[in-house]
Amino acid sequence: MTDIIIPNLGNEISEAEITEWLVETGDDVEQGDVVLLISTTKTSLEIEAPTSGKISQINSNEGDLVQVGEVVCTIE
Amino acid sequence: MKTMPKNIDIDPNKIFAKDFLKSTELPIHQYQKSIDDELKIHGKENLKEVLRHMYIVREFENMLNSFKTTGSYKNIDYTYNGPAHLSIGQEAAAVGAAFALKPEDKIFGSHRSHGEMIAKGLSAIKNLSRDKIKSIMQDYNGGKLISYVHKNLNDKEFDDAEMFLLSGVLAEIFMRELGFNKGMGGSMHAFFTPFGTFPNNAIVGGSSGIAVGAALHAHLNQEESICVANLGDGSTGCGLVWESMNFSSMGQYKNLWPEPYNKNPPMLFCFMNNFYAMGGQTLGETMSWDRLSRIATGVNSEQMHAETINGSDPLSVADAIIRKRKLLIEGNGPILLDIECYRYSGHSTTDTNAYRSRDEIKHWKFFDPIQQYSEKMIEAGIINKNDLNNMSEKVQNQIEYLTSKVVDRELTPSIDIEKNPTIIGDFTFNKKVISVSKITSDLLKNEGEVNQIKSLQKKSRFGKSEEGSLLSGMRAITLRDSLAEAIIYHLSRDKSLIAYGEECRDWGGAFGVYRGFSDIIPINRLFNSPISEAAIVSTAIGYAISGGRAIIELMYSDFIGRAGDEIFNQLAKWQAMSAGELNLPIVLRASIGSKYGAQHSQDWTSLLTHIPGLSIVYPATPYDAKGLMASSLCSNDPTVFFESQRLYDKVEIFTENGVPKNYYKVPFGKAVKRRSGKDITILTIGASLYAALDASMELINHNIDAEIIDARSLVPFDYEMLLNSVKLTGRLLIVSEAVERGSFANTIATNVSKFAFKNLRASPMIIGSPNWIAPGADMEKTYSPQSEDILDLVFRDFFPEKRINKRGLRKDWDFLDLAKKGL
Repeated sequence: MTDIIIPNLGNEISEAEITEWLVETGDDVEQGDVVLLISTTKTSLEIEAPTSGKISQINSNEGDLVQVGEVVCTIE
Repeated sequence: MKTMPKNIDIDPNKIFAKDFLKSTELPIHQYQKSIDDELKIHGKENLKEVLRHMYIVREFENMLNSFKTTGSYKNIDYTYNGPAHLSIGQEAAAVGAAFALKPEDKIFGSHRSHGEMIAKGLSAIKNLSRDKIKSIMQDYNGGKLISYVHKNLNDKEFDDAEMFLLSGVLAEIFMRELGFNKGMGGSMHAFFTPFGTFPNNAIVGGSSGIAVGAALHAHLNQEESICVANLGDGSTGCGLVWESMNFSSMGQYKNLWPEPYNKNPPMLFCFMNNFYAMGGQTLGETMSWDRLSRIATGVNSEQMHAETINGSDPLSVADAIIRKRKLLIEGNGPILLDIECYRYSGHSTTDTNAYRSRDEIKHWKFFDPIQQYSEKMIEAGIINKNDLNNMSEKVQNQIEYLTSKVVDRELTPSIDIEKNPTIIGDFTFNKKVISVSKITSDLLKNEGEVNQIKSLQKKSRFGKSEEGSLLSGMRAITLRDSLAEAIIYHLSRDKSLIAYGEECRDWGGAFGVYRGFSDIIPINRLFNSPISEAAIVSTAIGYAISGGRAIIELMYSDFIGRAGDEIFNQLAKWQAMSAGELNLPIVLRASIGSKYGAQHSQDWTSLLTHIPGLSIVYPATPYDAKGLMASSLCSNDPTVFFESQRLYDKVEIFTENGVPKNYYKVPFGKAVKRRSGKDITILTIGASLYAALDASMELINHNIDAEIIDARSLVPFDYEMLLNSVKLTGRLLIVSEAVERGSFANTIATNVSKFAFKNLRASPMIIGSPNWIAPGADMEKTYSPQSEDILDLVFRDFFPEKRINKRGLRKDWDFLDLAKKGL
């Protein structure tokens, strides 16, 4: 089981917004696939799957503010 | 899978395919028309006019040469102290080109452009209707110059419009008030826009980017005219010229811009190639090209449709311009012409020709344009010798008559500086302000349909929660957001405004201010520029003096150096050098960096406050950023807008209702009090506000009540508020992140000593960054003034009796020793 967490994006950035989920629970993903887009105060970022597997859980909705380090999705 | 937006896919298979780069032959002196051909095209009278115009240009410069070298001309004694960079011998290039241009075409020249300017003026007079000329002359300078001509140069033998042109130019060269720019430009800068002559430039190559900006304006406004940069061969060694050639042929015009803008701007680079750059020989010595037109092969696949033209034959020059003009109007610019010609006169009149042989000069006299053309005209029966002599004599009389009046200081005085000692200063700023339409137009989408802009609506306008805790930049409007609100407001409503810089579109600007803008504003008004800082600034100037407005972005203020001349000599000076004839409504965004070390973290505000002619603002809060940006975008003066990268995520904590959603302005020249106090005034410049605020909290614990004033605007600066504060506190500390030596903080401190000496209990002090490089991220706090450094200074210099344990890094510095070491 692998967690997708909001990465540390520099000292000043503590939160990010989930802009768009590109996967749903149950989808198969390959390592390196972009699974979600987030935006910070400065920029937009693509978050990739760190491993191949099935999306088992999505913890936040589009538009939610999430903290750096927060688990937003799990791959099994 | 969704990918990030992209405009042009780079296909590695195509990139790595085997191939050969192709270039084609470029014509060199291929002009073949006979005089009969030319007669059919232009008619006899026009061909005779070409000769007369060459005579006028020649005699005008003979006159200047005579004054410079002998102090007199035809029994008129006059000491002319200014410069005279003459083009005697190059008349065919100037007149031939002007002959083929339309009155609405714009030429931009060099320091050696009297001839080009006069020729273009004569050509405009020949082609415009008399009614149009009359109204131009009446409208200019309240009709003063044409009244002067009618009163003093009223010999009916000479055309009043020609006398208007020549007296406007000569009075400008002689620095008189009736000159086209009231004598503020002088010999190297004379121009008169109604005849299509735009600023001549004393900086070699300086006109190239300005002309490209004007061509961009003509292009975006669908005008049927072209812009010409008349440059010397020496300018092929200048970076700006290369930047400008590229800027005018960027791939995006044809690849990405929508109809009807998917064409290249109508830009003609005319190199008046006289083979010398000062005393250096471009051909064979200082440059690498074998023919000047060679450089065009390095610019684009069309090789700029370059040709080498015989500049000693006006008809060969005119023929080329006619053909190239057509291509340009069709959108096939930019074009390069290498117009080979020769100046007999030296670089300037103090030049003794030490760098070239007498034989060479003698040899070129066989190719004298006037001599050759006269012979051709006589041979073809277009003019006889007698008429030719009469024409020459009449021109000599015309120039003599003109000169006799213009040298007369009583008849033609300079501006009266004794009577009005600060009058030159009055030309610096026009202080004009536009009002913006409330209605948006020509948008790709409305603001409300774009996520990045829509998301701002969800944010709190104030930076603190109801409980008083600080909100993150994801929950409250940041300084970045507030800039975005002001800029998109203007871009959506002011169609004359364009925005560009190094990344302005899909990335959202290097620091995210323009996020979402590319979904709203079409690419022809919001585009990525090449990494050409000089051309970014220079083209904005050309765009603005043609009637547009521009907001340009240099990413880091550290890159100002790459646009040094364009900011220091062009952007800052053209309003005053034109005596207010030109307006430069340009906002230059310059971001003060952080974390990236010495070449990316300098506060260069002081460098620019040192340059007269620029409005300079540096907001520290979201409220001020939005309001000052609105004022900057409404101003008709050139404005440098400093932003701190450390502040982009700051939320509004000072203004209780936060950043207003609606449009508003914060005026230039007004500081703001961030904290009231009675013991010491601390003036902060830009980001240093926050360190000073922290320090003031600690000072309170020692019964020192600091008043904090945030400068906001540096030029003009709000002396009134500062002096009133110092009157009460008697003490002043100025905090800035600029290095201390030569800092603007020193200027303010000196002025306060001067203006409020009797109110001061101690000498005003400043604290800035030390006089060495900005170190990298982890060491940055050792560089810009921290609250501890401010505290140490306040106790040491103002309240030694309340001495506390020093805590800042600078506590043991020997400032005198450092100063002696140049640090």
